[in-house]
Amino acid sequence: AGEAKGSKALSGLLNSLAQDAFHGHRGVTEELLWSQLYPEAWPEEFCPFLEKMRGILKSIASADMDFNQLEGFLTAQTKKQGWITSDQAAVISKFWKSHKTKIQESLMNQSHWEDGLQNLSWRVDGKSQSRHSAQTHTPVAIIELEFGKRG
Amino acid sequence: MDGPGLREPMLDAKSEVTNQLIDFQWKLGMAVSSNSCRSLKYPYITVVLKVADHSGQVKNKSFEMTIPQFQNFYRQFKEIAAVIETV
Repeated sequence: AGEAKGSKALSGLLNSLAQDAFHGHRGVTEELLWSQLYPEAWPEEFCPFLEKMRGILKSIASADMDFNQLEGFLTAQTKKQGWITSDQAAVISKFWKSHKTKIQESLMNQSHWEDGLQNLSWRVDGKSQSRHSAQTHTPVAIIELEFGKRG
Repeated sequence: MDGPGLREPMLDAKSEVTNQLIDFQWKLGMAVSSNSCRSLKYPYITVVLKVADHSGQVKNKSFEMTIPQFQNFYRQFKEIAAVIETV
């Protein structure tokens, strides 16, 4: 029962870390995570633990690990004494497998720097006339492009 | 109002209404790494449009599209080309 609770807390923690690191949702503070997920932990235990998990998640995402690489990486992490437990490794593995695609999408989005194309509207004019020019018979396509960040 | 014999069609740019497309350049790139992700596989298209306003001043506008966005962009232009043929 204690393990299930620990797994659930770690899942929640990883989710918040991902929201912050990849999806740009910077709402949740360390204090909030601590009080909500690990209320029985000492602050001097929680903060290093949080950083450890953040580091592991960032390493996995940065290397865009496939499942073989992930297993190898997590096994190595559990072998380092007192670093992560095999239960924690299982939670991390499950998290990456279910969130990998979404995180990859967010990372690609972060690498999209120029304006994106938000919208394209068009119109074809058969005849045109204006104050300065006589009537023309050349069809003209007028295109309106709307640009924005993260298009 | 009939003008004297026109040598070339006067498009909207010269009527101070819209800009005129002078040139269209494109580039297909593949982002392999960035500061936010060491291992990326992100193909994208960068387009540079050269437009002239009514005074003849040329401006560049560049923007980036993902492959699906570019396919949509291309499809719309194909549609425009088809329609303009029929007018």
